[in-house]
Amino acid sequence: MITLIVAGILGFYMAWNIGSNDVANSMATAVGAKAITFKQAVIIAGVLNFVGAVFVGSHVTETIKGNIVNPDMIPSPTYMLLGFLSSLLAASFFVMLSTWREMPVSTTHSVIGAMVGFGMIEGGTACINWSKLAEVAASWVLSPIVGAILAFLVFRGIVKLIFERKSPSEAAKVVGPGIIGLTIMLITSSLLMKTNLGMMLGITIRKALLVAVICGILGMLTAMVALRKIGMKGKDEYDIVERMFRKLQIVTSCYVAFSHGANDVANAIGPVAGVFSIATTGVLNPKAEVPAFLLAIGGLGIAIGCTTWGHKVMKTLGYRITSLTNTRGFSVDFGAATTVLIASKLGLPISTSHTVVGAVIGVGLARGLDAVDLSVVKKIIATWLVTVPAAAGLSAIIFLILRTIVGG
Amino acid sequence: MEDDCHFRIPITSALRRKSPFAGLLEHMKKVKKCIEVLGEGLKEYYNGDFERFSEVARKVSKIEHEADLIKGNIRAHLPKSILMPVDKGQFQWLLREQDAILDHAENLAEMLDMRHTKIPEELREMFIEHLEKVIETVQAMEGAMRRFRILLETSFVTKERDMVKKKIHEVHRKEWEADQIKYKLTREIYKMEKKLKPMDEYHLLKIADWVDDIADHAENVADLIRSMIAR
Repeated sequence: MITLIVAGILGFYMAWNIGSNDVANSMATAVGAKAITFKQAVIIAGVLNFVGAVFVGSHVTETIKGNIVNPDMIPSPTYMLLGFLSSLLAASFFVMLSTWREMPVSTTHSVIGAMVGFGMIEGGTACINWSKLAEVAASWVLSPIVGAILAFLVFRGIVKLIFERKSPSEAAKVVGPGIIGLTIMLITSSLLMKTNLGMMLGITIRKALLVAVICGILGMLTAMVALRKIGMKGKDEYDIVERMFRKLQIVTSCYVAFSHGANDVANAIGPVAGVFSIATTGVLNPKAEVPAFLLAIGGLGIAIGCTTWGHKVMKTLGYRITSLTNTRGFSVDFGAATTVLIASKLGLPISTSHTVVGAVIGVGLARGLDAVDLSVVKKIIATWLVTVPAAAGLSAIIFLILRTIVGG
Repeated sequence: MEDDCHFRIPITSALRRKSPFAGLLEHMKKVKKCIEVLGEGLKEYYNGDFERFSEVARKVSKIEHEADLIKGNIRAHLPKSILMPVDKGQFQWLLREQDAILDHAENLAEMLDMRHTKIPEELREMFIEHLEKVIETVQAMEGAMRRFRILLETSFVTKERDMVKKKIHEVHRKEWEADQIKYKLTREIYKMEKKLKPMDEYHLLKIADWVDDIADHAENVADLIRSMIAR
């Protein structure tokens, strides 16, 4: 029983860390572009993360993130249990440290690293799924690059289709609804495809696509009607465009926050679910049922994390690297959200943090930014590179200590 | 100048790395203000009203100092690692040229305040005409800078590039016109050689030169903007 409570507390602590570090991914650009205030951002993100985690968060979760450690090689369930606890603790420590240093890191990767750490100690190198680890390493390079390319293209598209036109505000009225439709289509499809919600409603991929397209078109039509009314009065052309994107950006930010809650709650809850499965059945189930109250704990942890320490990393992403306007912020959000969506449908363990940073750089390369501070970017990349080894080392040490205390 | 910053609401947070272009515009604001103050003062000076000129010189010097602080701040926050949409060397050079306008304005004000030279009646009108042309040059340069800012906001669209180029042409034209007036003025001053005291003659020639220097540097600023937006 005590183990369960400890596991629950650690899971909550991890969720808190996830919330405080990752909230920046969804909200930093919106805050940086002054679409919403700091306070609004953390509250919106907290609520949406909670809702996403509880209602869309997967009820069946991988206990070992990415199957990075082969559980058959670790015979003793007690050690497995200790392993889960130490990796939770190690990943939490590492994420907290980076949040404190205001660096965005991947919580997914710190969990993976922590698992590797204890796996190496208990099962030796053989029990690590190295090819899976290589995939993770590849995503360090791939996700920022894809994010950068997509954001670059989106921003160039906005420039070409709107800014280059004789009357940007008129062009925006034509292009805007299209973009809104596309965004809504992406959001709906990500909500329905291969998710809990989709499964609950019994929706296949084809049906999900169909629903998404219909929603997109509906959104487009609504936007067309709505946009007819706004801002013809006198104001600067570019100002009208920016104001339009400000609204759009809030939508994409909310979407990223929501899906973040849905996806990343598993990072905190997966290991806890592993502990539960061992404690109740005596063996580890690689795909464990997650009780609803665990998801609620995770969601709550993330939400509280957002509201307490969320501002730290947000400062780095929203202001430190560069300052963003609404069209730029939207490009970043759109590029990053799309990359994450595609990757998660392909089953690749990529990190939202990496993608967002890549997307910011992509817009910078499109000559869209005043100044990108590469020294901050370098620091962030260095933090990514140490994520897995540092989390692994930490978890190994904690595991060794716990093992000595419990006594083999 | 405030009105065209609507893209980016200024953030008071000291933690934020300020955009170097925002700093550049702030510096430009000082240039504009300084030339306005100097222009008013010079007109009085040309009309033989020296009473308040010391005050003007003091004001100009104060603005120049404020601008220096802004310049230092921009430079301090422009480390090697900054990736900018324009050449960083050119950006620095632009800032220097912008600052040169202020330096010359300050120099002019101080020098004129040291010796109050009465402008001969028949040259007065031409001096004022010259001064006005120089001020127009600076104003056109300031306009070019505003359009340049919008060009950056739209990430270099052709339409806005053309607008900046048009403004730059305007600067060139005004500067050329100012030069023409200066030559005419110089010729007239030489013609009065016999009538004037040598020191007065010398100082009149110098005034024309010093005022014209301001337009020259304004033109340099425009030229640098031009090379920054080259494809």
